[in-house]
Amino acid sequence: MRLESVGKRYGPRRPWVVRDVSLDVAPGSLIRVEGRNGTGKSTLLRVAAGVSLPSAGRVTGRPHTGYVPERFPGGLPFSARDYLLHLARVHGLRGTVAARRADEWLDRLGAASFAGQPLRELSKGMCQKVAIAQALLARPGLLVLDEAWTGLDQAARGALDAAVGERVADGGAVMFVDHDQARLAGRITERWRLDGSGRAAVAAGGRVAAGDGRSAQDLVVVIELAGLEPESAAVLRDQPGVLSCDGGAVRVPAAASDEVLRQVLAWDGVHVTAVRTVRASTGQADAGQAAGR
Amino acid sequence: MTALLRYQAALLLRSNRWIFPLVAYGALIAVGAAGSTPLAEGLDWSAAMLLPVSAFLTRSMLTAEPDASWACVAAAAGPAAGPVRAQLATLVTALGGGVVLGAVGAVFTLLTSEPAGPRPRSGVTGAITATLHYPGVFLAGLATAVVCLLTGAAIGALCNTPLLRHSGAAALATLAVVILALAAGVSPANAALRHGGDVASAARWPGGLPLIGAAALLAVTWTASVLAAARRERSLP
Repeated sequence: MRLESVGKRYGPRRPWVVRDVSLDVAPGSLIRVEGRNGTGKSTLLRVAAGVSLPSAGRVTGRPHTGYVPERFPGGLPFSARDYLLHLARVHGLRGTVAARRADEWLDRLGAASFAGQPLRELSKGMCQKVAIAQALLARPGLLVLDEAWTGLDQAARGALDAAVGERVADGGAVMFVDHDQARLAGRITERWRLDGSGRAAVAAGGRVAAGDGRSAQDLVVVIELAGLEPESAAVLRDQPGVLSCDGGAVRVPAAASDEVLRQVLAWDGVHVTAVRTVRASTGQADAGQAAGR
Repeated sequence: MTALLRYQAALLLRSNRWIFPLVAYGALIAVGAAGSTPLAEGLDWSAAMLLPVSAFLTRSMLTAEPDASWACVAAAAGPAAGPVRAQLATLVTALGGGVVLGAVGAVFTLLTSEPAGPRPRSGVTGAITATLHYPGVFLAGLATAVVCLLTGAAIGALCNTPLLRHSGAAALATLAVVILALAAGVSPANAALRHGGDVASAARWPGGLPLIGAAALLAVTWTASVLAAARRERSLP
């Protein structure tokens, strides 16, 4: 997909919110859009997602798109499941596939028990899960997330991180805005920075390392734990990305370490005693201790 | 497009936004049918009352969906022209609701009015007799209803979000333009109801010009509404 001299303003006499943005979105890329409040991040995402037509320039080669808005207030006369079924059909899915995907995503995001409840009665976080589920139903080639993590519980945030990973691994592109600087750090392939005048530039390309600029890809984080029970160790071993978990040490690629850390910190009776990084290629311990985040 | 229409139709039915137009239209037609009205006059009345109903049905569909879920639907309906299709589906669904109400109104009028001929009879037999003996009267009444339906849908699109976003102003504007459209001579609906002065004949054809005018009005206002929805933001209802 390509943005060609894209500009956007909300009326002929209004100021340009986004102007002259010419950037490519390659398959398999994970793009973080950055900028201060009011610099047009949401507007740029809406134009990229095809929700809003650009006022100038054009967007070409957009694949099938899933869009998650900043807030999803519900307020519709459907149950969560019925809404997802309708949206699945709009996404082009049919009958049984639509139903299966709707149930699958409600389940993955931890909303299965609320499937039959009217959207009007759902909490803000639960509505957000429905909004995320609808965007993922059709395994879109472009996933656009506008602060989609806000209001989610920890498990759902992890599920969304994993879903983003799946989209990228499938060759899809993902664009997102989030206030948490550490969000998906290590997996991001490109950062677009909006400068306040509506212009966007690539701030960094290639695999962006967390911290000191070393490639995060070949770093392994070793998390040492005390008080880990065998059942919990088994749960960790089943986590996506976890390389090994024996005794009190979990080995996980740097890209997935935050999620594992969040999980173990949430467990009662489990203490993190040390976190350090080693080179995956050599197995050598790096000098110094890396912070968890 | 089918999935979009299905979604919008479900939204209309489940949101109960059809109840007010149905009750209002039923009441207006019942007022018109009180006493014994000739079929041609009854059909004119039910056609005229379809205009405000169609306008307010369009208004309620345009305000039925919060901006955020509309955006999700617009993206899902893509990848190209998603918002255009999403907005068009909203307008078409409202028009479809108007068609259903108009059809119900026409059948009701047929059942309760006196046939336009020398043998007054009412009820189902009367309706069948009227349709068989005076198809011209019935068809002319339907054509008038179509003019009013299209004009009403055009007014609904013109006077509401995203073209007119202030909710209170939009409601008032819709009401004012509906009254104008029924009363002012330039309106296709008014022209259709005047039958070009040919009130004497039993079959009151609206004429071709009002039909063309109403269709043109609909095309222009719908295009404006669709483009506004796709280019600007839709306001939060």
